[in-house]
Amino acid sequence: MVDKAQVISLCRSLLRAGRQYPDYNIREYAKRRTLDGFRMNKNLTDHSKVEEAYAEGKKQLEVVERVVKVYLAYPPKTKNIMELKLQ
Amino acid sequence: SKLPYNPPPRIYHATLKRVLRKASSFQSISFGRFQSSKRIRLQISCAAKPETVQKVSDIVKEQLALSADTALTAESKFSALGADSLDTVEIVMALEEKFDISVEETEAQNITTIQEAADLIEDLVQKKPTAQAS
Repeated sequence: MVDKAQVISLCRSLLRAGRQYPDYNIREYAKRRTLDGFRMNKNLTDHSKVEEAYAEGKKQLEVVERVVKVYLAYPPKTKNIMELKLQ
Repeated sequence: SKLPYNPPPRIYHATLKRVLRKASSFQSISFGRFQSSKRIRLQISCAAKPETVQKVSDIVKEQLALSADTALTAESKFSALGADSLDTVEIVMALEEKFDISVEETEAQNITTIQEAADLIEDLVQKKPTAQAS
């Protein structure tokens, strides 16, 4: 039985993991995708569907944590233009 | 009669008076080698600074897409402003990034108003420099 607190905790873990990406594009994508994914399934009532979505989220969390390590091994050499502060 | 310790010189009392006078506008207090005596019990707790509350309000307005002239009080609940739990998670993440702090899971679950967020932020920001100094 997956309760609300667990879901929120998973969302937070995914957001935190996605924040570690050195590359601007995938960092923003990770944040966007987790929030969209959780919002999309926000109103699920069927428990089996909720468990399914939660399991999917857990899987994605593993993926993010693994891929972050690869990205950190090859950090970008220059800052993305979107990250530069407006003069 | 011999005392088991060297009694602190009078200068410590003067220092304490100065510290207490500044207490209303304090940010951190360090007592140095002050030997705590049972008579002096110091308890200082202050609510978050207005600037912090303002910064939190700005971030909340941005995250919840409220108009710039929406009146937000420190006691405004996020849920009353139309935020669901996911919005609250986003707000806490944005606050973490803005103030460069890390909020624990249990602490994050207890944030429901702007004041609570500001108080927690100040608490965490205060704890940071001491960790770096040691």
